[in-house]
Amino acid sequence: MKIHRIYGLSLRYLYYFRKSWDRLSDAFYWPTIDLLVWGITSSYILKVAPNFPQFILIVMSGLLLWLILWRAQYEISINLLEEYWNRNLINIFVSPVKFSEWILTVMLLGFIKAAFSLPFAAFLAFLLYKFNIFMYGYYFLIFILLLFMTGWSIGFLVSGIILRFGTRIQTLAWTMIGLLSPLTAVYYPVSVLPFWVQKISYLLPPTYVFEAGRALIFNGVLELRGLIISLILNLLYLILSLWFLKRSFNKLLDQGLAKLY
Amino acid sequence: MDIISVSNLSKKYDKYLAVDNISFNLKEGEIIGILGPNGAGKTTTIQMLLGVLTPTKGEINYFGKNFHMNREEILEKINFSSTYTNLPWILTVKENFDCISYFYNIKNRKKRIKEIVELFKLEDLYYLKISSLSAGQLTRVNLAKSFINYPEVLLLDEPTASLDPEIAQYVRDFILNQRKKFNVSIILTSHNMSEVEEVCDRVIFLDQGKIIANNTPEKLAKSIDLAHVDLFITDGLKRTIVFCKKNNFKYKESGRFLKVDISEDKIHHFLKELALVGVTYNQISIDKPTLEDYFLQVVKRKKNENS
Repeated sequence: MKIHRIYGLSLRYLYYFRKSWDRLSDAFYWPTIDLLVWGITSSYILKVAPNFPQFILIVMSGLLLWLILWRAQYEISINLLEEYWNRNLINIFVSPVKFSEWILTVMLLGFIKAAFSLPFAAFLAFLLYKFNIFMYGYYFLIFILLLFMTGWSIGFLVSGIILRFGTRIQTLAWTMIGLLSPLTAVYYPVSVLPFWVQKISYLLPPTYVFEAGRALIFNGVLELRGLIISLILNLLYLILSLWFLKRSFNKLLDQGLAKLY
Repeated sequence: MDIISVSNLSKKYDKYLAVDNISFNLKEGEIIGILGPNGAGKTTTIQMLLGVLTPTKGEINYFGKNFHMNREEILEKINFSSTYTNLPWILTVKENFDCISYFYNIKNRKKRIKEIVELFKLEDLYYLKISSLSAGQLTRVNLAKSFINYPEVLLLDEPTASLDPEIAQYVRDFILNQRKKFNVSIILTSHNMSEVEEVCDRVIFLDQGKIIANNTPEKLAKSIDLAHVDLFITDGLKRTIVFCKKNNFKYKESGRFLKVDISEDKIHHFLKELALVGVTYNQISIDKPTLEDYFLQVVKRKKNENS
């Protein structure tokens, strides 16, 4: 791996980010709207049901943690789609850039862009609803890492599917992550889900993170066991999704990147 | 020394054989043109040479090293330009060059970018977005991009398509100049036959995935003996046409101008016969067979075979 190539790729995606209104609105506009809508709804519920003061904390923490997961997935799938839309994938791979360098770049970019949009959303949440993300302490870093790992896995899976079937199924880049939202119990405990859905829910690594977040808010205790299961599942899914993506890329090379221009 | 050596290269898509067991080489400082009708396998071959299409069979070596095993090292020394690929349209020319320069191990990036901007006269376009460039300007930017890493081998897919004649000539001169200065070896595809004749030392002619000719443009052109005789006939146009029909000479009539396709060894007989039947003309030009004639003959043969 060569740092200068990773830097070149990063530079290119950061230029897109700076210049594209779509990408900027993804990073700042939608998180703001989500925070406003969910925050106002939570405040209203708190008024009509004042005996559940943690409600707004649960919603706000779910929202911010979800933002991390979404950002990591979105970064990988959208950067691939940008190359498709620009008919530019061939320009990258006729240079010495390796597939692994491209993968590492899009993973890092998820971190970099989250470093912009997450503090912005966290600041808004504090300003509007007095929700302090630092109440999780250093555990928040563990949450971030685990959610990023899941986001990358889904991003690789979606990208692999797009490489195989082309842009006619590009909508997966926006919709696939949505499937996880009800299943991973972002805003409610897993126990409220039907029993058979709970089984699926516990196969998904973010479930343990959202549960751990809620446990911290309610009891001030970290559920370490759940987080270890989340890490193991994440590692497994990450390996499988990377394998699938590489296979899809090789399949694409069998057909030729020329078919993309 | 062989810069590129291709042996027994094939590419099969399901049942369709796009490239069929081709072998050729490219010497240091040589310019090869790959020609052929649509679907002949030109782009497929270029893609395999670039490593963005996996061959079904065969081997590609650059600088005596296996391409598959030494991809990173080899791609540092080669580059590619095509009229049909885009650069990110939202970025400016400058931003694109900045990013691409980091893909390669270039020592003084800023200096190199400045050099190619000057060489390709891109000063006025430098801060413009790719989306605002015309097709010709984009081709020029793409071509400039391909020189960014001081390539030892260049693969050019239609390098002058959509350029205006003046810029196209500038690009051809530039390619020849780069070869002269730095001994760059080049493979190019083009539909512009006169360009191939002007620039290429050798032509590889592909048809249905096979190499059907591998020779200098002059020798390929000479392999068909068809010449063109252009006459401005002042008296005896009808007699000339009758004579052409009788002898099965293909002709094209435009006013008093007559263009006759005729084998070189029969020109003497043709002109003598016209004189005998009293045909007079006050302008005559004889064009030798060109690469385009060779190309047309192959395409015609292919059509006949298909029908």
